[in-house]
Amino acid sequence: MEERTTLEVIAPTVEQAIADGLAQLGLPADAVTVEVLDSGSKGFLGLGGRQVRIRLTVKAPSVETPPVSEAEAEEVVEQTEGEKEEDERVLHLAREVVTTLLKYMHVDARVFVSFGEASGNHPAPVRVDIRGQDLGVLIGRRSETINALQFIVGVIVSKEVGRKVLVLVDVEGYRERREQQLRRLARRMAEQAVKTGRRQILEPMPPNERRIIHLELRDHPHVRTVSIGEEPHRKVTIEPKESHP
Amino acid sequence: MKALIEYIARSLVEHPEQVEVRTRRAGRRVVVELRVAKPDMGRVVGRHGRVANAMRALLRVAAERENKLASLDIIEP
Repeated sequence: MEERTTLEVIAPTVEQAIADGLAQLGLPADAVTVEVLDSGSKGFLGLGGRQVRIRLTVKAPSVETPPVSEAEAEEVVEQTEGEKEEDERVLHLAREVVTTLLKYMHVDARVFVSFGEASGNHPAPVRVDIRGQDLGVLIGRRSETINALQFIVGVIVSKEVGRKVLVLVDVEGYRERREQQLRRLARRMAEQAVKTGRRQILEPMPPNERRIIHLELRDHPHVRTVSIGEEPHRKVTIEPKESHP
Repeated sequence: MKALIEYIARSLVEHPEQVEVRTRRAGRRVVVELRVAKPDMGRVVGRHGRVANAMRALLRVAAERENKLASLDIIEP
């Protein structure tokens, strides 16, 4: 689990927000300080009320907190105050943008933000985790809604910050579930292609999903994958490598 | 619905004061009309209409929640 110094949480009540935040951090209550940023409002007949917003700050490492490796500790120290402030500003902004969009979409949910892992030269992406009941509406057909949300949030945050910020939006662990499902599908269709000797054409998929299929079958000895068609109807095809005319 | 499109458009353009959103209704159907300053057109449409289409996807959710059908028109200044 990555190290995080602060976490902002939105929930209907302060108690709920603290409980959610601690669960996300995997820390006991005495390892953090709680700051209520917005104590919310009731709204009329339960409508239009503002949710509670709190900030949890992890206290300096002590015996109760999980041990931090030397390398990680070094990294935390090396981050300057300015960078830390900038990071917090980006997280705060991402959460703000998502919360506002959900409000105008009339979707009631809790929003968690954190930095994902940096890979290579790319800076760490901002991860936005949306949790709540009945959020299928946020995923949409062929992941259209969740991808639209991710795209819009990325564009707004990048514009606001003045540089490209990669934002990854997830809803109730959907991305991971979908990835597993796609990898199974890829293997099944590859088998089918080999067995029948015929090209298999998958349903249209967004680029990030097609990529999962390509990657899953990249080292497959008997099939190759090719995308055909134009967005948003572009689809992956899986064809046997040796053609027997 | 109007507030959603207004918020997104104002966040993306260089001239937020020139963002104008109107809605036309016919029963369950709602047409949301978005107008922005000419140099901001590209910002609300996006490459290959990507921004416009993402706005439409989010607008659809907002509309569904009000039991309506919505469409978004971006009007050339």
